[in-house]
Order: sequence, then structure tokens, then C-alpha cells
Amino acid sequence: MVDPSISRSANGPSKAELSCVDVSSGYLGKKVLDGITFAVDEPAIYVVLGPNGAGKTTLFRTIAGILRPYSGTIEIAGRSIEEQDTRDRLHFLSHVDGIPDGLRVEEALRFYGSVQGATDADVNRVLRLLEIEPLRTKYVSQLSAGQKKRVSIARIFLRERELYLLDEPTANLDPKIAAEIRDLILKLSKDRVVLYSSHNLFEAREIGKYVIAIKAGRLNLFSRISELKSAKYVVGVRTVGGERALPKERLQGEYYVFELAGPEEVSGLLKELEEKGVQVREVKELGNPLEDLFA
Amino acid sequence: MAGRTNGGRTLPSLLSVTLRRGLIAGRAYLVIGIIVSLILTVVLLRTSHGSAVFVATFPLEVPLFATLGALGGMILFVGDRSKGVLEYLISYGVRPRALFVNCLLATVVLSTIVMGTTLIVGLSGYVATGHSISSTLENSILGYTIPMTYASSLFAATCGVIWSTLSTPRMGLNSPVGVAPLLGVAPPVLVLVIAEGVDKSAYYYVTGGAALGFLVLVAALLVASSRLMSRERYLSPM
Repeated sequence: MVDPSISRSANGPSKAELSCVDVSSGYLGKKVLDGITFAVDEPAIYVVLGPNGAGKTTLFRTIAGILRPYSGTIEIAGRSIEEQDTRDRLHFLSHVDGIPDGLRVEEALRFYGSVQGATDADVNRVLRLLEIEPLRTKYVSQLSAGQKKRVSIARIFLRERELYLLDEPTANLDPKIAAEIRDLILKLSKDRVVLYSSHNLFEAREIGKYVIAIKAGRLNLFSRISELKSAKYVVGVRTVGGERALPKERLQGEYYVFELAGPEEVSGLLKELEEKGVQVREVKELGNPLEDLFA
Repeated sequence: MAGRTNGGRTLPSLLSVTLRRGLIAGRAYLVIGIIVSLILTVVLLRTSHGSAVFVATFPLEVPLFATLGALGGMILFVGDRSKGVLEYLISYGVRPRALFVNCLLATVVLSTIVMGTTLIVGLSGYVATGHSISSTLENSILGYTIPMTYASSLFAATCGVIWSTLSTPRMGLNSPVGVAPLLGVAPPVLVLVIAEGVDKSAYYYVTGGAALGFLVLVAALLVASSRLMSRERYLSPM
């Protein structure tokens, strides 16, 4: 995919400075989020994690101004989310595609372009960027789930914004396209704040710099991902000759699995295996500290 | 919200796109509404022989088919809600009220198409068969046909939209979208039945009063909708 050259918003890019203070929100009076407080301003990907029903989508919808908070304040660059200027600073990508029926792909993007203040040139650019130009004249109803998702994602590249709220952007995408979308989002995050929810913990760890963990509607953790430590350190070792020296119970697929106290014990493990006459082909970390956030 | 420029060609406004999409979404109903209305008009012209039956019946039948032909606006709103389009538009700063109003404007445009086509063909045929447009016919069209066309089609759209956002999503004829047309045709059918037995001196009061009454009802529903339809109601149930 080509490098995104996103057109500038009316306000021009600047620091997003998103702040949520004691935000409670939900649906029809039923509280889902309860007293969420955090602030972000460093351009990066902030992975929003939590079990199903924890309140991730509600958090995104509330920050995007779709749901009105029951209490608390949400500000972007010091201005309320209810102001139109503030809305012009963010992009929201829902887990629902939101592609209107009865339109061709190009028309659907023009539809959203008209709301965002984009132009025909912007529409043509994102069709190339997301490699959906061959789908340009197809009706949305003729697209596969993955193709619809790409069209949905294309919308957030029509105009440049400072804050991106992306709710499971790579769900339903094949691995190749998902990787390309992740690359685009990573490029965005160089100078943009991206809140990104995903159930794929390996993806989250790969691209996220910070984690915002939500549990039962409350902020459970806000931390640098690199500072998270697993309760246990699990590695998988692919070997030649391991079947002669290692117990069968340790074998999971192609890997013998070992639980260690930490990365510092890996060299000791390798030495031990060598002494048993086992040739090590590969060692990889199997555990993910983000998993503990779901415990 | 008008399209804005950024060095390229301006994209059409949300309202104009909504109107065009309303035409596409409801094209089947629009075509059926126009064709059935025209068939009945032609039958009426051929069988009424005298002007009295035409004058008494034609103004009453038009709102029925205009209501049927104008369902595109409601279909569009309900479809956009379930697809999640509305929540995206709200996130871009489009006011929820504007989304509802756009749907009603699409309804007005569609009902105008059916009503306009039927009136042009019906009145042209009436004149072409040697009749002149009497003040009775003119008054019936101005006092009943036109206001009742808008009242009944807006009533159907408003009820359908409010009902579909307040209820659990259902598909097919049992859904609000399936039942709303019946609600919409109820007012003109009711007037059709009542007008049959009304004394000639009270005819205008009954028909005109009914049209006015349903317009007031639509206005009341719109006011109530701002309380009933909180932002959560615009979210996709998926």
C-alpha cells in the first residue's frame, strides 16, 4: 500500500489532548461506564482492552459524542466534545460497518465525504490507498464482509483528524489485509493519538504503546505495555530430537512448552536442553502480559 | 449540512444525497404507488361518465397512493439505523434531529412525486374528456388532497421511525416498516368512509378538518419524538 497523504482538516493537525474526567455513560439510563478518568496527548496507539461487555464500545461512542455522558467531562484540546469544531478533530470507526445500502462503493465514500468536507480527490485517493479501486463501481451489498470493512476503514482516511477512535478495525479482515491496515494505522500514530480496541492480544502488543484496560465499566489499568509483566513467563521451544529427551506432556503442536520465572531463565533452559542432547531450532515467547488483564 | 470544498470538486450535501437515496430505497413503492394511482384514475375517468363521481372520489383516493409511494424516506432511516450509518453521522456532528428531518423531507418529496403525477394525469384526463375543473373539485384538492397527502405520508413515516427505534428489531411484514404503511393509509381510508355518509354542507369541514387534524397529530408526534428518541435510539441494534 502507498503511504497515506491525508488531506488536512480545517483546523490543521495539532495535539489531540483527549481528557476524560469522571465519565459515566451508558444506554437508556443503564450505566455501563462508571467514573472513567484518563488523559492522553502523546501520539501513539493506545490499546483499549477488556472482556466483552466491559464498556469499550461505549467508551468510544461517548468520546465520539454519540452518547452523552451521564456525568463527567470529555474534552479534546480543552474544548467540549459537543462543539462541532471538536467533532472535526476526530474519526470514529465502529465495529458496525456503517456503509449505506443502495450505493456503490465510490458513492458510499462520497456520501461520508460530503459530511466530512472531503472532495472527489480525497475519495479517489482513499480508493487507491485502501486498494479498493476495483470495487469502485460495485454495490456495497455485493461486497464480502472483509471488503465492506475496508470500505468502512477507507472513510477514516478521507480527511486528516487528530484523534482516531478505532473499534476493532481489523476484525473480519484476512491476515494480509489486516497487516496492511495495521501498517497504515501505525503510520497514523506517529503524530496522531489512536485509541484502538482489539480482541487480538498479540496484535495489541505488537502495535500498542499504551494499554487502557476497562473492566466492568471502570478503568482497570492505564500503563505502558512495555512495563507490564506476566505473572508467568511461558516459552515454546521447537527442537530436533526433543521427543527422546523431553516429556510428551510438554508438547503443544510443534513446541515444547516451559513455564519460567522470567526471561532471565531462558539461557539456563537452553543450556539444560543442550546437556540432554536436544537441538534447539527456535524459542518463542508464548505468554502475553495483556492476557492477565482479562483474568 | 452542505458539502465543503478543499481544493477539489465539492461533494453533494447530505440532504441531497439523502433525497436521492430515498428515491432509490423506495423506488419499488414509488412505482407501485404511481401505477396503481394512475390505473384507478383512468378507471374513474372511464366509468364515472358524469363529473359528480369523479369530483367526489378522485380527491379522496390520491393521498392513499401517495402514502404508499412515499415509504422510501422511512425505509432509508430504518435501514441506516440498523447498518450503523446514523451513529457515524452523529459522530461527525450531524444532529440526530437533522437525520429525522431529512427522512421526513425525503418522504415529502416522494409523496409530491406520486401526488403531482396523479393530479396532472387525472385533471388533464378530466379536462380532456370535456369537463371543466369546478370550484368544488378545486376546493377538494386544495383543502383535502394536498394537505392529507402530506399528513398521511408524514404520519406513516413518523410512526414507522419512532416505532422502529423504540422496539426490538424485527424483520419482514411484522416489523414497524411492514406495518407503518397500514397506519399511513388509515387516515385517508377513514375519511373516505366518513365522507361517504356526510351531508354535502359538512363535507369540506369533515375532509379539511381531518387533514388539518392529522397534520397537527404529526406535529405532536415530532415534538414527542425529541423526548422519546434519545441518542441511543439512533444506534444500530447490532
